Amino acid sequence: MRGIVDGTAVEGKINSFARDWGLRLAVFVAAVGLWEFFLSRAQNFLLPTFPHIASALFHLVFLEPRFWEALYISNQALVLGYAGSVLVGIPLGLIAGRLRWMDRILNPYFGVLLVMPVAPLIPIVIIALGLGLVARVSIVVLFAVVFITINTRAGVRGVEPALIEMAKSFGASEGQIWRRIIVPGALPAIFAGLRIGLGRAITGMVMVELILVASGLGRLLLEFSGRMQSDLVFATVLAVIVEALTLLAAMQALERKIAPWAPDISIR
Amino acid sequence: MIRVKGLCKEFATFDNGSGGVLALSDIDFEVRDNEFVTVIGPSGCGKTTLLRIIAGLIPYHQGEVSIDSRPVVGPGPERAVVFQSFALLPWADVLGNVTFGLDVRGEAKSESQARAKELIKLVGLEGFEKRLPKELSGGMQQRVGLARALAVNPRILLMDEPFGALDEQTRRLLQEQLLQLWERERKTVIFITHSMEEAVMLGDRVMLMTPRPGRVKEMIDVPLKRPRPRDVEKSPAFVEIKEYLWENLRAMQTAQP
Repeated sequence: MRGIVDGTAVEGKINSFARDWGLRLAVFVAAVGLWEFFLSRAQNFLLPTFPHIASALFHLVFLEPRFWEALYISNQALVLGYAGSVLVGIPLGLIAGRLRWMDRILNPYFGVLLVMPVAPLIPIVIIALGLGLVARVSIVVLFAVVFITINTRAGVRGVEPALIEMAKSFGASEGQIWRRIIVPGALPAIFAGLRIGLGRAITGMVMVELILVASGLGRLLLEFSGRMQSDLVFATVLAVIVEALTLLAAMQALERKIAPWAPDISIR
Repeated sequence: MIRVKGLCKEFATFDNGSGGVLALSDIDFEVRDNEFVTVIGPSGCGKTTLLRIIAGLIPYHQGEVSIDSRPVVGPGPERAVVFQSFALLPWADVLGNVTFGLDVRGEAKSESQARAKELIKLVGLEGFEKRLPKELSGGMQQRVGLARALAVNPRILLMDEPFGALDEQTRRLLQEQLLQLWERERKTVIFITHSMEEAVMLGDRVMLMTPRPGRVKEMIDVPLKRPRPRDVEKSPAFVEIKEYLWENLRAMQTAQP
């Protein structure tokens, strides 16, 4: 349908858009239906029905100032922690990808951070750094940084050696090789790392508040669950999920702008 | 003029201490200006290594490799390479790929683009400037690679089995096209190939190499007239040289343990 420059082509696009969202809505409705069905059979008073969750969500967003306060507090740690992870993780990954000896030195540390569950480290960090923002930011960094680094490194390693050789054959300097070959070549993997890192950072943000710090959204969750207000618990979790999805979607849009040649490896 | 004398190249192996692999041993040959030399030999004979040494991409410590009496110590503006795997930037379009060599040298954008467009037309890809490599066939991608190499106006073209990854029909078309381009402007060419037909069809001389460690077994003259006629492959001289090459190559490979 390439040559047709008019309504037909546009129509095709609108149709696929409508179809996609129609299907997504259908899945959502089916999921809600299943949930309600399950609830009606189960004898569990704690599980909220969908209308309860929806009204709790409405209450949170529009009628509860503490929600927005908590969101702000939690997101401070997220923004600073994520920014820190990116500023540390990407350069480390670039260096580890390009310099063999540097990679050998850093590898065991990456490995440890990768496989170790970070949650048990939280109390240790709190003891060392107290209960304030610094501790929360550090935890977020610990959760996220290694994934950004490893993906960046993989991206650098994954650049076709033939391309680097080709650049050398035209007399490119090391700086030019970095700018013209390695960074563009590694960008898709770097973005994958940024996306995974974002998910990890959000997890870290909530987890540290749940486990120890009791401020922000984690505190709200603890309060609601303490009072058996399961609809508000669900609503809060939903709110976090919505935030995460929004951020991820924003990142995907950014990636499509910066690196349009990247294959669509979306983990949604 | 390219001059190689007593060149030896050893690669260190990854296992501990068992010495290295001698890829090239005592390579001696010359390539005259504007000459088209094809290089053929059994697999592993080191022809790609030799080409990369001349391109200045890998170092050598024994022997002499010089261009117009100046020793080769790295890549240079008078040489350009065409790769078997095309080595195109997947994120750049055809125009961006062809201007790559010029961009690296810091040429002004408008001039590089003008020159690139000329060459894109010359290799028959006019209209494809905005396409990405993944939208092109193998033959088209290699034509981009060729245009890119020609864009920097090299005196010497180093071609590492440039048509090896292509099907036979595309290969033949590109051979014809390469010869046409070369007739217009006779650069010095070193062209590595596995195909005996290709070696005789394209070259003024064929350099026959031995199995590893590679040596120059023989430099064979190809006294066929230029420009090569369409049916050159049927001429008795062509067949004779081709058979001679095959006899030697076959003997070299069956003699191996």
